[in-house]
Amino acid sequence: MNKLQEYFYTDWSAMTSNDWVGLIITVVIFILMIAIYSYVLAAGNQEKFDACRYIPFDSDDGDNNKGVVKNER
Amino acid sequence: MEETQQQIQEENYDYSVVKGFVVMASVYFVVGTFIGVYIASELSWPFLNFDIAEITFGRLRPLHTNAVIFAFGGCVLMASAFYSVQRTCHTALWSNKMAWAVFWGWNLVIVSAVITLPLGFTQGKEYAELEWPIDILIALVWVLFTFNFIMTVAKRKTPHIYVSNWFFMGMMVMITYIHVANSLVIPVELFKSYSIFSGTHDAMIQWWWGHNAVGFYLTAGFLGIMYYFVPKQANRPVFSYRLSVLHFWTLMFGYVWLGSHHLQYTALPGWTQSLGAAISIAMIIPSWGGAVNGMMTLSGAWHKLRTDYILRFFIVSLAFYAMSTFEGPVMSIKTVNALSHYTDWTIGHVHSGALGWVGMVGSGALYHMVMRLWSTEMYSTALVAIHFWTATIGTVVYIVAMWVSGIMQGLMWRATNEYGTLKYTFAETVVEMHPYYVMRTAGGFIYFLGTVLMLYNIIMTIKMVKAKGGE
Repeated sequence: MNKLQEYFYTDWSAMTSNDWVGLIITVVIFILMIAIYSYVLAAGNQEKFDACRYIPFDSDDGDNNKGVVKNER
Repeated sequence: MEETQQQIQEENYDYSVVKGFVVMASVYFVVGTFIGVYIASELSWPFLNFDIAEITFGRLRPLHTNAVIFAFGGCVLMASAFYSVQRTCHTALWSNKMAWAVFWGWNLVIVSAVITLPLGFTQGKEYAELEWPIDILIALVWVLFTFNFIMTVAKRKTPHIYVSNWFFMGMMVMITYIHVANSLVIPVELFKSYSIFSGTHDAMIQWWWGHNAVGFYLTAGFLGIMYYFVPKQANRPVFSYRLSVLHFWTLMFGYVWLGSHHLQYTALPGWTQSLGAAISIAMIIPSWGGAVNGMMTLSGAWHKLRTDYILRFFIVSLAFYAMSTFEGPVMSIKTVNALSHYTDWTIGHVHSGALGWVGMVGSGALYHMVMRLWSTEMYSTALVAIHFWTATIGTVVYIVAMWVSGIMQGLMWRATNEYGTLKYTFAETVVEMHPYYVMRTAGGFIYFLGTVLMLYNIIMTIKMVKAKGGE
Protein backbone atom coordinates (compact mmCIF):
# COMPACT_ATOMS: atom_id res chain seq x y z
CA MET A 1 0.00 0.00 0.00
CA ASN A 2 1.56 3.28 -1.08
CA LYS A 3 1.45 6.39 1.09
CA LEU A 4 -1.46 7.95 -0.77
CA GLN A 5 -3.58 4.81 -0.40
CA GLU A 6 -2.62 4.68 3.24
CA TYR A 7 -3.68 8.30 3.71
CA PHE A 8 -7.09 7.71 2.20
CA TYR A 9 -7.62 4.27 3.79
CA THR A 10 -11.04 3.99 5.39
CA ASP A 11 -12.29 1.22 7.63
CA TRP A 12 -15.81 1.08 6.22
CA SER A 13 -16.91 -1.58 8.69
CA ALA A 14 -16.20 0.87 11.54
CA MET A 15 -18.56 3.51 10.12
CA THR A 16 -21.39 4.34 12.56
CA SER A 17 -24.83 5.46 11.41
CA ASN A 18 -23.83 9.06 12.31
CA ASP A 19 -20.78 8.72 10.04
CA TRP A 20 -22.97 7.49 7.18
CA VAL A 21 -25.49 10.33 7.60
CA GLY A 22 -22.65 12.88 7.61
CA LEU A 23 -20.98 11.32 4.59
CA ILE A 24 -24.21 11.18 2.57
CA ILE A 25 -25.10 14.81 3.42
CA THR A 26 -21.60 15.95 2.41
CA VAL A 27 -21.69 14.11 -0.92
CA VAL A 28 -25.23 15.30 -1.72
CA ILE A 29 -24.28 18.93 -0.94
CA PHE A 30 -21.17 18.61 -3.11
CA ILE A 31 -23.23 17.30 -6.04
CA LEU A 32 -25.86 20.02 -5.55
CA MET A 33 -23.15 22.69 -5.57
CA ILE A 34 -21.74 21.37 -8.85
CA ALA A 35 -25.26 21.35 -10.33
CA ILE A 36 -25.98 24.93 -9.21
CA TYR A 37 -22.61 26.21 -10.45
CA SER A 38 -23.20 24.57 -13.84
CA TYR A 39 -26.71 26.02 -14.08
CA VAL A 40 -25.72 29.55 -13.09
CA LEU A 41 -22.61 29.69 -15.24
CA ALA A 42 -24.20 28.11 -18.35
CA ALA A 43 -23.92 30.65 -21.17
CA GLY A 44 -27.51 30.01 -22.22
CA ASN A 45 -28.82 31.24 -18.86
CA GLN A 46 -26.92 34.53 -18.82
CA GLU A 47 -29.71 36.63 -20.33
CA LYS A 48 -32.28 35.20 -17.94
CA PHE A 49 -30.17 36.05 -14.90
CA ASP A 50 -29.12 39.48 -16.18
CA ALA A 51 -32.76 40.49 -16.58
CA CYS A 52 -33.21 40.06 -12.83
CA ARG A 53 -30.71 42.83 -12.09
CA TYR A 54 -33.38 45.47 -12.69
CA ILE A 55 -36.00 44.09 -10.29
CA PRO A 56 -35.29 46.70 -7.54
CA PHE A 57 -35.99 49.44 -10.09
CA ASP A 58 -39.38 48.08 -11.10
CA SER A 59 -41.08 49.33 -7.92
CA ASP A 60 -44.54 50.53 -8.88
CA ASP A 61 -44.38 53.65 -6.69
CA GLY A 62 -42.18 55.48 -9.14
CA ASP A 63 -39.54 56.14 -6.50
CA ASN A 64 -35.92 56.46 -7.52
CA ASN A 65 -36.44 54.88 -10.93
CA LYS A 66 -35.58 57.90 -12.93
CA GLY A 67 -32.49 57.53 -15.07
CA VAL A 68 -31.36 54.06 -14.00
CA VAL A 69 -28.04 53.58 -15.71
CA LYS A 70 -27.62 50.27 -17.46
CA ASN A 71 -23.95 49.60 -16.82
CA GLU A 72 -23.09 47.52 -19.86
CA ARG A 73 -20.13 45.27 -19.25
CA MET B 1 -46.52 65.19 -7.18
CA GLU B 2 -44.75 64.31 -3.93
CA GLU B 3 -48.08 63.90 -2.16
CA THR B 4 -49.42 61.63 -4.89
CA GLN B 5 -46.31 59.51 -4.68
CA GLN B 6 -46.63 59.20 -0.91
CA GLN B 7 -50.31 58.33 -1.27
CA ILE B 8 -49.50 55.53 -3.71
CA GLN B 9 -46.80 54.21 -1.36
CA GLU B 10 -49.12 54.17 1.63
CA GLU B 11 -51.89 52.50 -0.37
CA ASN B 12 -49.73 49.78 -1.80
CA TYR B 13 -47.31 48.92 0.94
CA ASP B 14 -47.29 48.53 4.72
CA TYR B 15 -44.68 51.03 5.80
CA SER B 16 -45.87 51.90 9.32
CA VAL B 17 -44.19 48.86 10.90
CA VAL B 18 -41.01 49.53 8.91
CA LYS B 19 -40.94 53.06 10.32
CA GLY B 20 -41.25 51.61 13.84
CA PHE B 21 -38.30 49.29 13.29
CA VAL B 22 -36.21 52.10 11.75
CA VAL B 23 -36.70 54.39 14.76
CA MET B 24 -36.05 51.61 17.29
CA ALA B 25 -32.92 50.50 15.40
CA SER B 26 -31.43 53.99 15.71
CA VAL B 27 -32.31 54.12 19.42
CA TYR B 28 -30.78 50.69 20.10
CA PHE B 29 -27.65 51.64 18.13
CA VAL B 30 -27.01 54.44 20.64
CA VAL B 31 -27.83 52.25 23.66
CA GLY B 32 -25.76 49.26 22.47
CA THR B 33 -22.66 51.27 21.61
CA PHE B 34 -22.96 53.28 24.86
CA ILE B 35 -22.87 50.05 26.90
CA GLY B 36 -19.90 48.95 24.78
CA VAL B 37 -18.01 52.15 25.54
CA TYR B 38 -18.84 51.83 29.24
CA ILE B 39 -17.54 48.26 29.55
CA ALA B 40 -14.46 49.20 27.51
CA SER B 41 -13.92 51.99 30.07
CA GLU B 42 -14.30 49.45 32.89
CA LEU B 43 -11.47 47.42 31.40
CA SER B 44 -9.34 50.58 31.21
CA TRP B 45 -10.34 51.95 34.62
CA PRO B 46 -11.76 49.11 36.76
CA PHE B 47 -12.99 51.48 39.52
CA LEU B 48 -15.94 52.18 37.17
CA ASN B 49 -17.45 48.91 38.42
CA PHE B 50 -18.21 50.82 41.66
CA ASP B 51 -18.48 47.37 43.27
CA ILE B 52 -22.04 47.09 41.97
CA ALA B 53 -22.60 43.56 40.67
CA GLU B 54 -25.23 44.61 38.11
CA ILE B 55 -22.86 46.90 36.23
CA THR B 56 -19.72 44.76 36.26
CA PHE B 57 -18.11 43.76 32.97
CA GLY B 58 -19.36 40.17 33.26
CA ARG B 59 -23.00 41.29 33.50
CA LEU B 60 -22.90 44.18 31.01
CA ARG B 61 -20.83 42.51 28.29
CA PRO B 62 -23.66 40.13 27.26
CA LEU B 63 -26.06 43.07 27.46
CA HIS B 64 -23.79 44.97 25.02
CA THR B 65 -23.64 42.07 22.55
CA ASN B 66 -27.38 41.43 22.80
CA ALA B 67 -28.13 45.14 22.35
CA VAL B 68 -25.99 45.61 19.25
CA ILE B 69 -26.65 42.22 17.62
CA PHE B 70 -30.27 41.51 18.43
CA ALA B 71 -31.69 44.94 19.29
CA PHE B 72 -29.93 47.13 16.70
CA GLY B 73 -29.09 44.38 14.17
CA GLY B 74 -32.50 42.70 14.53
CA CYS B 75 -34.44 45.93 14.04
CA VAL B 76 -32.34 46.90 11.00
CA LEU B 77 -32.86 43.44 9.50
CA MET B 78 -36.60 43.43 10.15
CA ALA B 79 -37.02 46.98 8.83
CA SER B 80 -35.04 46.36 5.66
CA ALA B 81 -36.51 42.89 5.06
CA PHE B 82 -40.11 44.11 5.40
CA TYR B 83 -39.30 47.20 3.31
CA SER B 84 -37.45 45.57 0.43
CA VAL B 85 -39.61 42.43 0.15
CA GLN B 86 -42.66 44.58 -0.58
CA ARG B 87 -40.85 46.64 -3.18
CA THR B 88 -39.19 43.72 -4.95
CA CYS B 89 -42.35 41.58 -4.88
CA HIS B 90 -44.72 44.46 -5.72
CA THR B 91 -47.09 43.52 -2.97
CA ALA B 92 -47.97 44.57 0.57
CA LEU B 93 -46.99 42.41 3.53
CA TRP B 94 -48.95 39.19 3.86
CA SER B 95 -50.06 40.35 7.30
CA ASN B 96 -49.43 43.84 8.64
CA LYS B 97 -50.86 42.78 12.02
CA MET B 98 -48.41 39.91 12.24
CA ALA B 99 -45.57 42.32 11.39
CA TRP B 100 -46.66 44.52 14.32
CA ALA B 101 -46.78 41.42 16.54
CA VAL B 102 -43.17 40.78 15.51
CA PHE B 103 -42.30 44.41 16.35
CA TRP B 104 -43.75 44.26 19.87
CA GLY B 105 -42.53 40.71 20.48
CA TRP B 106 -38.98 41.58 19.46
CA ASN B 107 -38.98 44.67 21.67
CA LEU B 108 -40.29 42.56 24.55
CA VAL B 109 -37.31 40.22 24.05
CA ILE B 110 -34.97 43.22 24.25
CA VAL B 111 -36.61 44.60 27.40
CA SER B 112 -36.36 41.11 28.96
CA ALA B 113 -32.64 41.07 28.16
CA VAL B 114 -32.14 44.50 29.71
CA ILE B 115 -33.76 43.26 32.94
CA THR B 116 -32.40 39.71 33.26
CA LEU B 117 -28.78 40.01 32.10
CA PRO B 118 -27.66 42.66 34.64
CA LEU B 119 -29.42 40.62 37.34
CA GLY B 120 -27.15 37.71 36.43
CA PHE B 121 -29.68 35.36 34.79
CA THR B 122 -27.68 33.73 32.02
CA GLN B 123 -27.14 30.40 30.29
CA GLY B 124 -23.47 31.32 29.86
CA LYS B 125 -23.56 30.60 26.11
CA GLU B 126 -21.98 33.26 23.92
CA TYR B 127 -24.53 35.27 21.90
CA ALA B 128 -27.23 33.03 23.47
CA GLU B 129 -27.11 34.09 27.10
CA LEU B 130 -30.83 34.66 27.59
CA GLU B 131 -32.64 32.13 29.76
CA TRP B 132 -35.12 29.58 28.43
CA PRO B 133 -38.45 31.51 28.70
CA ILE B 134 -36.93 34.34 26.62
CA ASP B 135 -35.45 31.79 24.19
CA ILE B 136 -38.96 30.45 23.59
CA LEU B 137 -40.23 34.00 22.99
CA ILE B 138 -37.38 34.63 20.52
CA ALA B 139 -38.25 31.43 18.63
CA LEU B 140 -41.95 32.36 18.43
CA VAL B 141 -41.31 35.92 17.24
CA TRP B 142 -38.67 34.78 14.75
CA VAL B 143 -41.01 32.16 13.27
CA LEU B 144 -43.74 34.80 12.86
CA PHE B 145 -41.20 37.09 11.12
CA THR B 146 -40.10 34.23 8.85
CA PHE B 147 -43.65 33.06 8.09
CA ASN B 148 -44.85 36.57 7.24
CA PHE B 149 -41.84 37.19 4.98
CA ILE B 150 -42.18 33.87 3.14
CA MET B 151 -45.93 34.35 2.67
CA THR B 152 -45.28 37.84 1.27
CA VAL B 153 -42.82 36.34 -1.20
CA ALA B 154 -45.38 33.66 -2.04
CA LYS B 155 -48.02 36.23 -3.01
CA ARG B 156 -45.59 38.33 -5.07
CA LYS B 157 -46.64 39.84 -8.38
CA THR B 158 -43.21 39.35 -9.97
CA PRO B 159 -42.11 36.10 -11.61
CA HIS B 160 -38.64 36.01 -10.02
CA ILE B 161 -37.59 36.23 -6.36
CA TYR B 162 -34.89 38.91 -6.19
CA VAL B 163 -31.58 37.80 -4.67
CA SER B 164 -31.87 39.98 -1.54
CA ASN B 165 -34.98 37.99 -0.59
CA TRP B 166 -33.07 34.73 -0.97
CA PHE B 167 -30.44 36.01 1.47
CA PHE B 168 -33.14 37.09 3.95
CA MET B 169 -34.90 33.72 3.68
CA GLY B 170 -31.62 31.81 4.04
CA MET B 171 -30.96 33.72 7.24
CA MET B 172 -34.47 33.11 8.58
CA VAL B 173 -34.47 29.35 7.97
CA MET B 174 -30.97 28.79 9.35
CA ILE B 175 -31.39 31.00 12.42
CA THR B 176 -34.64 29.23 13.27
CA TYR B 177 -33.10 25.81 13.51
CA ILE B 178 -29.73 26.70 15.01
CA HIS B 179 -31.40 28.88 17.66
CA VAL B 180 -33.76 26.05 18.59
CA ALA B 181 -31.00 23.40 18.66
CA ASN B 182 -28.63 25.57 20.69
CA SER B 183 -31.36 26.50 23.15
CA LEU B 184 -32.38 22.93 24.01
CA VAL B 185 -32.16 22.90 27.80
CA ILE B 186 -33.70 21.30 30.85
CA PRO B 187 -35.34 24.06 32.90
CA VAL B 188 -34.96 23.68 36.66
CA GLU B 189 -36.33 27.08 37.67
CA LEU B 190 -38.03 30.01 35.94
CA PHE B 191 -34.64 31.53 35.12
CA LYS B 192 -32.28 28.58 35.50
CA SER B 193 -31.67 25.74 33.06
CA TYR B 194 -29.00 23.28 31.96
CA SER B 195 -28.04 22.38 28.40
CA ILE B 196 -29.13 18.94 27.21
CA PHE B 197 -25.68 18.59 25.65
CA SER B 198 -22.52 18.07 27.66
CA GLY B 199 -18.76 18.35 27.29
CA THR B 200 -17.36 18.60 23.78
CA HIS B 201 -20.79 18.16 22.21
CA ASP B 202 -22.04 21.20 24.10
CA ALA B 203 -19.01 23.24 22.99
CA MET B 204 -19.53 22.20 19.36
CA ILE B 205 -23.26 22.99 19.42
CA GLN B 206 -22.54 26.37 21.01
CA TRP B 207 -20.04 27.33 18.30
CA TRP B 208 -22.19 25.85 15.57
CA TRP B 209 -24.70 28.46 16.77
CA GLY B 210 -22.11 31.13 17.59
CA HIS B 211 -20.40 31.21 14.23
CA ASN B 212 -23.62 30.86 12.29
CA ALA B 213 -25.18 33.72 14.23
CA VAL B 214 -22.33 35.66 12.62
CA GLY B 215 -22.57 33.80 9.31
CA PHE B 216 -26.30 33.91 8.72
CA TYR B 217 -27.62 36.71 10.92
CA LEU B 218 -24.80 39.27 10.62
CA THR B 219 -23.57 38.20 7.18
CA ALA B 220 -26.33 36.65 5.05
CA GLY B 221 -29.01 38.96 6.44
CA PHE B 222 -26.89 42.08 5.94
CA LEU B 223 -25.90 40.87 2.47
CA GLY B 224 -29.63 40.86 1.73
CA ILE B 225 -29.56 44.53 2.73
CA MET B 226 -26.50 45.14 0.55
CA TYR B 227 -27.98 43.52 -2.57
CA TYR B 228 -31.09 45.69 -2.39
CA PHE B 229 -29.84 49.00 -1.00
CA VAL B 230 -26.50 49.41 -2.83
CA PRO B 231 -28.10 49.25 -6.31
CA LYS B 232 -30.95 51.51 -5.15
CA GLN B 233 -28.67 54.12 -3.60
CA ALA B 234 -26.28 54.03 -6.57
CA ASN B 235 -29.24 53.98 -8.96
CA ARG B 236 -27.52 51.24 -10.91
CA PRO B 237 -28.29 47.51 -11.13
CA VAL B 238 -26.09 45.04 -9.30
CA PHE B 239 -22.85 44.36 -11.21
CA SER B 240 -23.45 40.63 -11.78
CA TYR B 241 -26.65 38.81 -10.90
CA ARG B 242 -25.05 35.45 -11.63
CA LEU B 243 -22.29 36.19 -9.14
CA SER B 244 -24.91 37.11 -6.54
CA VAL B 245 -26.63 33.74 -7.02
CA LEU B 246 -23.32 31.90 -6.66
CA HIS B 247 -22.53 34.03 -3.60
CA PHE B 248 -25.84 33.01 -2.03
CA TRP B 249 -25.61 29.26 -2.59
CA THR B 250 -21.94 29.03 -1.64
CA LEU B 251 -22.62 30.85 1.63
CA MET B 252 -25.60 28.59 2.34
CA PHE B 253 -23.67 25.40 1.67
CA GLY B 254 -20.39 26.48 3.19
CA TYR B 255 -20.96 28.63 6.25
CA VAL B 256 -22.49 25.92 8.45
CA TRP B 257 -19.18 24.05 8.57
CA LEU B 258 -17.10 26.82 10.12
CA GLY B 259 -18.08 26.73 13.82
CA SER B 260 -15.41 24.21 14.76
CA HIS B 261 -12.61 26.68 13.99
CA HIS B 262 -13.51 28.37 17.29
CA LEU B 263 -12.39 25.23 19.09
CA GLN B 264 -8.85 24.76 17.79
CA TYR B 265 -6.58 22.93 20.25
CA THR B 266 -9.50 21.73 22.38
CA ALA B 267 -10.96 18.26 23.03
CA LEU B 268 -12.83 18.45 19.72
CA PRO B 269 -11.59 15.75 17.26
CA GLY B 270 -8.58 17.05 15.31
CA TRP B 271 -10.14 16.34 11.90
CA THR B 272 -13.15 18.52 12.83
CA GLN B 273 -10.83 21.40 13.74
CA SER B 274 -8.92 21.05 10.46
CA LEU B 275 -12.14 20.77 8.44
CA GLY B 276 -13.41 24.00 10.04
CA ALA B 277 -10.18 25.77 9.03
CA ALA B 278 -10.18 24.33 5.49
CA ILE B 279 -13.77 25.38 4.74
CA SER B 280 -13.07 28.79 6.32
CA ILE B 281 -10.26 29.36 3.81
CA ALA B 282 -12.54 28.25 0.97
CA MET B 283 -15.14 30.81 2.08
CA ILE B 284 -12.82 33.68 1.16
CA ILE B 285 -13.79 33.09 -2.48
CA PRO B 286 -17.57 33.67 -2.25
CA SER B 287 -17.14 36.41 0.35
CA TRP B 288 -14.77 38.39 -1.83
CA GLY B 289 -16.93 37.63 -4.86
CA GLY B 290 -19.85 39.26 -3.05
CA ALA B 291 -17.80 42.24 -1.88
CA VAL B 292 -16.46 42.86 -5.38
CA ASN B 293 -19.96 42.46 -6.79
CA GLY B 294 -21.24 45.16 -4.45
CA MET B 295 -18.37 47.55 -5.10
CA MET B 296 -18.39 47.05 -8.87
CA THR B 297 -22.05 48.03 -8.90
CA LEU B 298 -20.58 51.52 -8.88
CA SER B 299 -18.55 50.73 -11.99
CA GLY B 300 -18.59 53.86 -14.13
CA ALA B 301 -20.18 55.92 -11.37
CA TRP B 302 -17.46 56.23 -8.79
CA HIS B 303 -17.88 60.01 -8.86
CA LYS B 304 -21.08 59.55 -6.83
CA LEU B 305 -18.92 58.78 -3.81
CA ARG B 306 -17.76 62.41 -3.77
CA THR B 307 -21.17 63.69 -2.81
CA ASP B 308 -23.27 60.78 -1.60
CA TYR B 309 -22.33 59.95 2.00
CA ILE B 310 -24.93 57.19 2.24
CA LEU B 311 -23.27 55.46 -0.67
CA ARG B 312 -19.94 55.90 1.12
CA PHE B 313 -21.38 54.02 4.11
CA PHE B 314 -22.21 51.11 1.80
CA ILE B 315 -18.90 51.01 -0.05
CA VAL B 316 -16.73 51.34 3.06
CA SER B 317 -18.85 48.65 4.75
CA LEU B 318 -18.04 46.35 1.82
CA ALA B 319 -14.33 47.09 2.26
CA PHE B 320 -14.60 46.07 5.93
CA TYR B 321 -16.63 43.00 4.89
CA ALA B 322 -13.84 41.97 2.51
CA MET B 323 -11.20 42.65 5.15
CA SER B 324 -12.86 40.72 7.96
CA THR B 325 -13.80 37.78 5.72
CA PHE B 326 -10.12 37.47 4.83
CA GLU B 327 -8.87 37.94 8.38
CA GLY B 328 -11.29 35.37 9.86
CA PRO B 329 -10.14 32.46 7.68
CA VAL B 330 -6.49 33.38 8.31
CA MET B 331 -7.15 33.31 12.06
CA SER B 332 -8.79 29.89 11.73
CA ILE B 333 -5.53 28.34 10.49
CA LYS B 334 -4.13 26.37 13.41
CA THR B 335 -0.70 28.00 13.29
CA VAL B 336 -2.16 31.52 13.40
CA ASN B 337 -4.84 30.45 15.87
CA ALA B 338 -2.14 29.27 18.29
CA LEU B 339 -1.15 32.93 18.59
CA SER B 340 -4.49 34.70 18.16
CA HIS B 341 -6.92 32.59 20.17
CA TYR B 342 -8.14 33.99 23.51
CA THR B 343 -6.38 37.30 22.76
CA ASP B 344 -7.71 40.76 21.88
CA TRP B 345 -6.96 40.07 18.21
CA THR B 346 -10.25 38.15 18.16
CA ILE B 347 -12.03 41.18 19.64
CA GLY B 348 -10.46 43.37 16.93
CA HIS B 349 -11.57 40.93 14.23
CA VAL B 350 -15.14 40.78 15.53
CA HIS B 351 -15.36 44.57 15.67
CA SER B 352 -14.00 45.10 12.16
CA GLY B 353 -17.01 43.04 11.09
CA ALA B 354 -19.46 44.51 13.61
CA LEU B 355 -18.54 48.20 13.47
CA GLY B 356 -17.18 48.29 9.92
CA TRP B 357 -19.53 45.94 8.09
CA VAL B 358 -22.76 45.52 10.07
CA GLY B 359 -22.85 49.00 11.64
CA MET B 360 -22.04 50.87 8.45
CA VAL B 361 -24.22 48.91 6.02
CA GLY B 362 -27.00 49.13 8.61
CA SER B 363 -26.55 52.91 8.95
CA GLY B 364 -26.62 53.34 5.17
CA ALA B 365 -29.84 51.32 4.94
CA LEU B 366 -31.46 53.31 7.76
CA TYR B 367 -30.65 56.68 6.10
CA HIS B 368 -31.91 55.37 2.75
CA MET B 369 -35.19 54.15 4.28
CA VAL B 370 -35.79 57.31 6.31
CA MET B 371 -35.66 59.43 3.16
CA ARG B 372 -37.99 57.10 1.23
CA LEU B 373 -40.41 56.31 4.06
CA TRP B 374 -40.95 59.93 5.04
CA SER B 375 -40.47 61.20 1.44
CA THR B 376 -37.90 63.80 2.42
CA GLU B 377 -34.23 64.68 2.41
CA MET B 378 -32.33 64.24 5.69
CA TYR B 379 -32.57 67.11 8.18
CA SER B 380 -28.81 67.59 7.90
CA THR B 381 -26.55 66.14 5.21
CA ALA B 382 -23.58 67.55 7.12
CA LEU B 383 -24.44 65.37 10.12
CA VAL B 384 -24.59 62.30 7.85
CA ALA B 385 -21.08 63.22 6.65
CA ILE B 386 -19.79 63.65 10.21
CA HIS B 387 -21.39 60.32 11.18
CA PHE B 388 -19.61 58.64 8.27
CA TRP B 389 -16.22 59.94 9.38
CA THR B 390 -16.76 59.17 13.08
CA ALA B 391 -17.82 55.63 12.13
CA THR B 392 -14.81 55.11 9.88
CA ILE B 393 -12.23 56.68 12.21
CA GLY B 394 -13.74 55.07 15.31
CA THR B 395 -13.66 51.61 13.72
CA VAL B 396 -10.05 51.98 12.57
CA VAL B 397 -8.84 53.25 15.96
CA TYR B 398 -10.68 50.40 17.71
CA ILE B 399 -9.39 47.56 15.53
CA VAL B 400 -5.81 48.83 15.33
CA ALA B 401 -5.69 49.00 19.14
CA MET B 402 -6.96 45.44 19.41
CA TRP B 403 -4.63 44.09 16.73
CA VAL B 404 -1.55 45.49 18.44
CA SER B 405 -2.80 44.52 21.88
CA GLY B 406 -3.82 41.01 20.78
CA ILE B 407 -0.62 40.12 18.97
CA MET B 408 1.48 41.47 21.85
CA GLN B 409 -0.68 39.52 24.31
CA GLY B 410 -0.28 36.28 22.35
CA LEU B 411 3.49 36.73 22.06
CA MET B 412 3.87 37.55 25.77
CA TRP B 413 1.75 34.58 26.86
CA ARG B 414 3.89 32.09 25.02
CA ALA B 415 7.31 33.67 25.57
CA THR B 416 9.62 31.40 27.56
CA ASN B 417 12.97 32.07 29.19
CA GLU B 418 16.16 30.03 28.87
CA TYR B 419 14.84 27.53 31.45
CA GLY B 420 11.69 26.89 29.44
CA THR B 421 9.35 28.53 31.91
CA LEU B 422 6.98 31.40 31.13
CA LYS B 423 8.72 34.75 30.82
CA TYR B 424 5.78 36.91 31.89
CA THR B 425 3.11 36.53 34.53
CA PHE B 426 -0.51 37.08 33.44
CA ALA B 427 -0.65 40.29 35.52
CA GLU B 428 2.37 41.67 33.62
CA THR B 429 0.59 41.14 30.30
CA VAL B 430 -2.49 42.97 31.64
CA VAL B 431 -0.34 46.00 32.54
CA GLU B 432 1.07 46.08 28.99
CA MET B 433 -2.45 46.01 27.55
CA HIS B 434 -3.59 49.15 29.39
CA PRO B 435 -2.65 51.82 26.78
CA TYR B 436 -4.41 49.82 24.07
CA TYR B 437 -7.52 49.39 26.21
CA VAL B 438 -7.65 53.17 26.59
CA MET B 439 -7.17 53.54 22.82
CA ARG B 440 -9.99 51.04 22.21
CA THR B 441 -12.25 53.03 24.53
CA ALA B 442 -11.44 56.19 22.55
CA GLY B 443 -12.22 54.43 19.22
CA GLY B 444 -15.50 53.10 20.59
CA PHE B 445 -16.43 56.54 21.94
CA ILE B 446 -15.82 58.17 18.55
CA TYR B 447 -18.04 55.52 16.94
CA PHE B 448 -20.70 56.05 19.64
CA LEU B 449 -20.78 59.81 18.94
CA GLY B 450 -21.70 59.00 15.33
CA THR B 451 -24.66 56.89 16.43
CA VAL B 452 -25.91 59.79 18.60
CA LEU B 453 -25.69 62.11 15.59
CA MET B 454 -27.64 59.63 13.47
CA LEU B 455 -30.42 59.33 16.06
CA TYR B 456 -30.62 63.14 16.38
CA ASN B 457 -30.66 63.54 12.60
CA ILE B 458 -33.41 60.95 12.15
CA ILE B 459 -35.56 62.45 14.94
CA MET B 460 -35.16 65.95 13.48
CA THR B 461 -35.98 64.66 9.98
CA ILE B 462 -39.22 63.09 11.22
CA LYS B 463 -40.07 66.26 13.20
CA MET B 464 -39.41 68.34 10.09
CA VAL B 465 -41.83 66.20 8.07
CA LYS B 466 -44.49 66.38 10.79
CA ALA B 467 -44.11 70.14 10.98
CA LYS B 468 -44.93 70.27 7.28
CA GLY B 469 -48.06 68.19 7.89
CA GLY B 470 -46.64 64.79 6.89
CA GLU B 471 -46.92 61.54 8.87
